[in-house]
Amino acid sequence: MSLIQAILVGVVAALTQFEGGWLGECKLREPVVTGFLVGLILGDVTKGLIIGAELQMMWMGATGIGPTAQLNIGTGGTMGTAIALTTGKGAEIAITFGLPVAVIMQFLGTLLMTAYSGVMHHADKLIDQGKDKQVEYMHYLCGFCDFMMYFSLTFIVMYFGNGAIQGIVDSFPEWANAGMAAVSKILPAMGFALLLNLLLEKDLIPFFILGFIITAYTDLTMVAVTAIAIGIAWIVYLLKSSSMQAKVDEWEE
Amino acid sequence: MSKNNIVSAENNLTKKDFRQIFWRSFTLLGSFNYERMEGLGFLYAIRPALRKIYKDDDEAYKTAMHRHMEAFNMTVAPSPFVMGITVAMEENAKRDPNFDVTSINAIKVALMGPLSGIGDTFFWGIFRIIACAIGVSFAKEGNIIAPFALLILFNIPNFLTRWYGLKFGYRNGSTMLTQMEESGKMELFTYCAGIVGVAAVGCMIASWVGLTSPLTFTISGSKIVIQEYLDQVMPQLLSLTATLIIFGCLRKKIKVVYIILGIIVVGFLGGVFGILG
Repeated sequence: MSLIQAILVGVVAALTQFEGGWLGECKLREPVVTGFLVGLILGDVTKGLIIGAELQMMWMGATGIGPTAQLNIGTGGTMGTAIALTTGKGAEIAITFGLPVAVIMQFLGTLLMTAYSGVMHHADKLIDQGKDKQVEYMHYLCGFCDFMMYFSLTFIVMYFGNGAIQGIVDSFPEWANAGMAAVSKILPAMGFALLLNLLLEKDLIPFFILGFIITAYTDLTMVAVTAIAIGIAWIVYLLKSSSMQAKVDEWEE
Repeated sequence: MSKNNIVSAENNLTKKDFRQIFWRSFTLLGSFNYERMEGLGFLYAIRPALRKIYKDDDEAYKTAMHRHMEAFNMTVAPSPFVMGITVAMEENAKRDPNFDVTSINAIKVALMGPLSGIGDTFFWGIFRIIACAIGVSFAKEGNIIAPFALLILFNIPNFLTRWYGLKFGYRNGSTMLTQMEESGKMELFTYCAGIVGVAAVGCMIASWVGLTSPLTFTISGSKIVIQEYLDQVMPQLLSLTATLIIFGCLRKKIKVVYIILGIIVVGFLGGVFGILG
């Protein structure tokens, strides 16, 4: 990987972090997007997208709700894809490297978020002194630290860790590949379990079963199943809101 | 539309000021920390408006800035709605010396829970899922449209919610909220959105996990393929089982990091010994 490429990959990783903090969670961190960008930088967009799709499915449910996230999928996806592309391997390698990176980066992120508490106290003092513009600089300072940490760590691993990573990848035995392949099959289940944890209430269980069974036993596509679900949701809304209205009418009479 | 673009004549708040809040609201998480959470980000978004409201009263301006440095935490997309309400209430506070300023933060805190709940359901549970699902289906074929489809699909609701949330929040936020809560419509709407969300998750488990067992036995000359038996019980049985086991662990409040470690151990051993694949 050339110096320029390593810098650009570092910028992509930092951008995925900026996405949450400064760009309103606009979803630049999703692996499909980072796969595309890293592919562009390393000269194989198609493969970048395909690896991105695999990582995306694995992290579909990585609903890092704000800063309470458990996985930094932005940096993990960026580095994982970059390593898979430079070593000429597939999605398993992206997962093997991307997952630990996502866990470690999230941990480092929590350290930063702890440190920023100190910045808040300084901001309080600045308000007392009436320096309102400088209060805003404190906000920018946190952004600058974020950018530098994610950029420099990614850059260092990409630029200086290249040889070591290639060595690890090449010495991977066949049985370890089989093991990682199975892990990468179960990890998407983790994502969907996280989503269920967010969404599923008792009253919604029948609709979950419906979605699964229709897809498992028929050839309907995702778009078709979603459309059916929207139809059902609409009907439920109409029925319930008219019964609510009826109750209000009764009560008024 | 009036030419001068004045939204609030008494404090000279213009459309430009509201556009500024809108854009600044994107940086809400920019200085997130475990003590004030999005506090500084919230202050950053509305500070120029506060300056205008308290242009001739530096002490009140400082107090107001302290007020909005307090802890605040919310899913980001609906937060401009709260910013709109806040600016309207600060104007009330300026106008009426008897106005109880503690009610401003009371409203902000009261909105954190419900709006985050609704926001998470829609933005993390539904918009993100649909945008990513469509992104994946393009990306699998190496189609260059994938990242653009994902970003556009997600950000249309993201931008609209922010812009109109800010507007409605400022104009008639507090009245609208009490009305919707009293009629129960909001709860019903969220529930119906949940229907689409969980059905989509069920669909994705069936189509995307794809966990199988390569295990085969040879008993008295005939080959037995375990997966064929599993498929007869139900297609994608292992995928569903794995998801539900992990879901059970989550509901038991087992830490995600431990669950991931468990998956790596079980999956790796299962793969090495040819039980899972």
